[in-house]
Amino acid sequence: MAQTQPISVDDWQTTIRFCGHDFMPLISGALYWPEIDALLVADLHFEKFSSFAPSGQFLPPYDTAMTLQRLEGDIDLTGARKVIALGDSFHRDNGVNTLQPQDRQRLSALTGTLDWVWLAGNHDPSAHALGGHCAAQLAIAGLTFQHEPRPGTKGLVAGHLHPAARIAMNGKSARRSCFAYDDNLMILPAYGASTGSLNILSPAFQGLFDKSALQVVMIGRDRTYPVGSSRLVAR
Amino acid sequence: MCVQTAVLQGNQRLLPELSAPVTAWFAGKGWQARAHQLAVLAAEREGNSVLLIAPTGAGKTLAGFLPSIEDLIASPHSGLHTLYISPLKALAVDVARNLGDPVREMALPIKIETRTGDTPASRRQRQRFDPPHILMTTPEQLALLISHPDSAKLFGGLKRVVLDELHALVTSKRGDLLALGVSRLARLAPQMRVTALSATVAEPEILRDWIAAPVAPRPAKLIHAPGGAPPKLSILASDDRVPWAGHSAAYAVPELLETIEKHGTTLLFVNTRSQAEMLFQNLWAINEDALPIALHHGSLSVEQRRKVESAMVAGNLRAVVCTSTLDLGIDWGDVDLVVQVGAPKGASRMLQRVGRANHRLDEPSKALFVPANRFEVLECEAALEAVAEGAQDSERPLPGGLDVLAQHLLGLACAAPLDPDTAFAEITAAWPYRDLPREKFDKVLEFVSTGGYALKAYERFAKLRKTEDGRLRIANPQIAQQYRLNAGTIVEEPMLKVRFVRARGIKKGATTGPIGRGGRMLGEIEEYFIDQLVRGDTFMFGGEIVAFEGVVETEAYVSRSFSDNPKIPSYMGGKFPLSTFLADRVRRILAEPEHWQQLPDQVREWLELQRHASVLPGRDSLLVETFPRADKHYLVCYPFEGRLAHQTLGMLLTRRLERARTQPLGFVASDYALAIWCATDLSALIRTDRLSLDQLFDEDMLGDDLEAWLDESALMKRTFRNCAIISGLIERRHPGKEKSGRQITMSSDIIYDVLYQHEPDHILIEATRHDAARGLLDIERLGVALKRIRQHILHKPLDRISPLAVPVMLDIGKEPIFGEARDALMREAAEDLIAEAMAFGADPAHIGR
Repeated sequence: MAQTQPISVDDWQTTIRFCGHDFMPLISGALYWPEIDALLVADLHFEKFSSFAPSGQFLPPYDTAMTLQRLEGDIDLTGARKVIALGDSFHRDNGVNTLQPQDRQRLSALTGTLDWVWLAGNHDPSAHALGGHCAAQLAIAGLTFQHEPRPGTKGLVAGHLHPAARIAMNGKSARRSCFAYDDNLMILPAYGASTGSLNILSPAFQGLFDKSALQVVMIGRDRTYPVGSSRLVAR
Repeated sequence: MCVQTAVLQGNQRLLPELSAPVTAWFAGKGWQARAHQLAVLAAEREGNSVLLIAPTGAGKTLAGFLPSIEDLIASPHSGLHTLYISPLKALAVDVARNLGDPVREMALPIKIETRTGDTPASRRQRQRFDPPHILMTTPEQLALLISHPDSAKLFGGLKRVVLDELHALVTSKRGDLLALGVSRLARLAPQMRVTALSATVAEPEILRDWIAAPVAPRPAKLIHAPGGAPPKLSILASDDRVPWAGHSAAYAVPELLETIEKHGTTLLFVNTRSQAEMLFQNLWAINEDALPIALHHGSLSVEQRRKVESAMVAGNLRAVVCTSTLDLGIDWGDVDLVVQVGAPKGASRMLQRVGRANHRLDEPSKALFVPANRFEVLECEAALEAVAEGAQDSERPLPGGLDVLAQHLLGLACAAPLDPDTAFAEITAAWPYRDLPREKFDKVLEFVSTGGYALKAYERFAKLRKTEDGRLRIANPQIAQQYRLNAGTIVEEPMLKVRFVRARGIKKGATTGPIGRGGRMLGEIEEYFIDQLVRGDTFMFGGEIVAFEGVVETEAYVSRSFSDNPKIPSYMGGKFPLSTFLADRVRRILAEPEHWQQLPDQVREWLELQRHASVLPGRDSLLVETFPRADKHYLVCYPFEGRLAHQTLGMLLTRRLERARTQPLGFVASDYALAIWCATDLSALIRTDRLSLDQLFDEDMLGDDLEAWLDESALMKRTFRNCAIISGLIERRHPGKEKSGRQITMSSDIIYDVLYQHEPDHILIEATRHDAARGLLDIERLGVALKRIRQHILHKPLDRISPLAVPVMLDIGKEPIFGEARDALMREAAEDLIAEAMAFGADPAHIGR
């Protein structure tokens, strides 16, 4: 009997099929949605480092520029014409005012040429005038987009929790930011250069996902990896 | 004693007169002042600073304080007269007690107090305006004291500074902080003199210059106290086989127990916490007579350590298994024997540890070395020779850290508006900063004020503001408050408290259910260790085998385990790398078979076998062996430069081998050797000149390859975290809320990435690089080694593993292996998922449903 060649993970691009739609997870943490040519990003946290300055902690004021650079790269890569920022785009409302002139310029170049939607987050609840539209929630093609996830809404895409997965095999472990989803809900990893992450098995995620249907795509150095939920460990 | 008296009489006319109370006190005890004690006094009376090099038990404390006592008797003094600084809180307390006794017996009105982190705030407050004559404190407390506006008044009349165990301080950032503090004291009290006490060191002139620098142009005198009786040293001659590899020395445990039985009190030193745990466990497993044997290491809770210490002082213990926590200082009473289990790593550390046995100078201390594996036999042999000769490692103080300087400059500004020119003169009077260029100083000042970024984003939040006369003052009083909360250079590894709880449902696979209620606290453990554990993993802690249950906030919960063998070997390599000095001696022993007479038979046979099967590494050359094994091809080399330098070498060589398309798969480093394995036949490549070892090991790897690797090195991030905390970029804690180690680590990694990418020449990246070169990466030592072996590489292609390669090959699987990207793990997990899906005939393209 002819031996079939084992299929390697290198042979295909990871695709996330969620509620009947196909998405491409990118290693930057963005999610590309070819169907409507949109780039989805969560938790940019622009101006996080500068927000510590008034208390005397002078963190490098380059996090916003780094996040912008990532965004520009992803837009080039995918050719997306629409960007949906899923909230906490600014680390605080006042970040809109503390933007460095050159960062502000780069940002308005983006919002000026693309169809841009800012969803409100808990860090940046107020609307602003940086270009694009500000909204609390968005509904497209049967899916709902908003900052905070909640259980029991079919087709909700959210951010807020900065999910990361840890897997352990053969006495070694790896922890990376991840996309996590089940039949109803998808949570995107945090995109901002200044953001940390939270293990999806930690209490903050409790009750959100149906454990038996949970899927995880971890972000590697050069690609993304779908990982079985049975591999996940808390620490 | 006779010899010393003779010296004393021979120099009679040079000797200073002692005051009546002191003379009477010596007479009452039936003692005589020792020559070096009088020599220190004489030098001080001439207005000189003094470095006293003296072994343990030589009456160092009295030598250090005799000038203060004499001066206070001669001319009554109000306010602070002498400031004593020790590396350990406990030592400061102990010395205060030891000095208090004679002062009381002489009935002198001299007030002596201690000031440490444990001193109640009310007393610390009072000490600032009503100081004792003699204050015993630590470098961190000194930094805090000089940051107060009233420090000029407090230290204005200071006559003497006594620095204890200076050799232990100068090679660390605490030494930098101390140097800067002493330089400030010299400015506040131009009349003051420095007396430093040190154990024997290889280059005492450096220490002498270190103390003389801030009080220049007055010189410092170097005084040597006579050594005591030479120590009696031996290496355990076990009937059992010395293992090829490993660090537990389990083979020797029965003999160790016998040794403990034969002696009154024994101190057993090991190099790491986990070795201590292992040895303690192994001793108790066969301790049928229940000899009181205790455990002491830095991770145990303070109460537990204090209990052991007081039992020790009371003479209730027969043995204590301990780590470097007991290296320094405090007199634990009568220790009859010191045992070093595992590699000694450095000659100076060994001398210090051996000195812990028997504090009576005229009796020899007795020490026993117990090598845990064959290479360690060589290392013990080398250490034995070195200790017998009194030879020392030469560990030089480093150029001062820029992060420490940043902290200190803010402290100075908190005390009074700072004039940059005067401050620069004061800073460069501190020995570690003597070569600091002015532009670097200005950059650090800029960093303190606004972060020092090329992008001027924080000007309006500047911490330092220019006054009309060009001085810099702090922008508001909160800055001083914040400074005091963050001062100091000791940055702890992020630690988690370890708490005993009842186990959760024993049912296999159960992942839910409440964790039992919190029970007894066992101590603290490094977070990186806990990070690699999964619930149910067993490890050794506090002398027992425990099972990991989970992490709740900042506590790791563990339950009692009934397994015999901990699943996770917590051995993370020796904490101290092999010193250059000992490494050189080990290479010599190997290269000169006439040295082998003293070695145990099995070790000698091992070396003979190596000579027969391959060749022996030369003293200055580098032996590189290549051989196939299983389906891999190995390269093993023997630089003997310590684990850290070997790890860095391994990282760099794998990068080069990758470029040469030899498909390196991983490597493991020990203190002696480095093994790299590849999928390609290296012997063949070298034979056909397609791979040149000279090029592979060329020094230029410390250029571009190093840069490229630093980009992604976790060690750089760990080093950066320390610099960021010390420099004040990241706060240790905010008033009112304590930031956990975990949060700091997470955000400091992110901060490093952002800073490194956008401003790689920022002053803090420079400080990090500088630390990494000497610290976790040991690049400097690697550089020296690469230079030494240039054109001296001896390649030996073999058809199988050589005898000398066995130990490092056995480490594969026990030690962390590098070069295997963590991504491989995710790939494996992903492939698993595919296999699972394929079994159901699912379409892999839509694996994510």
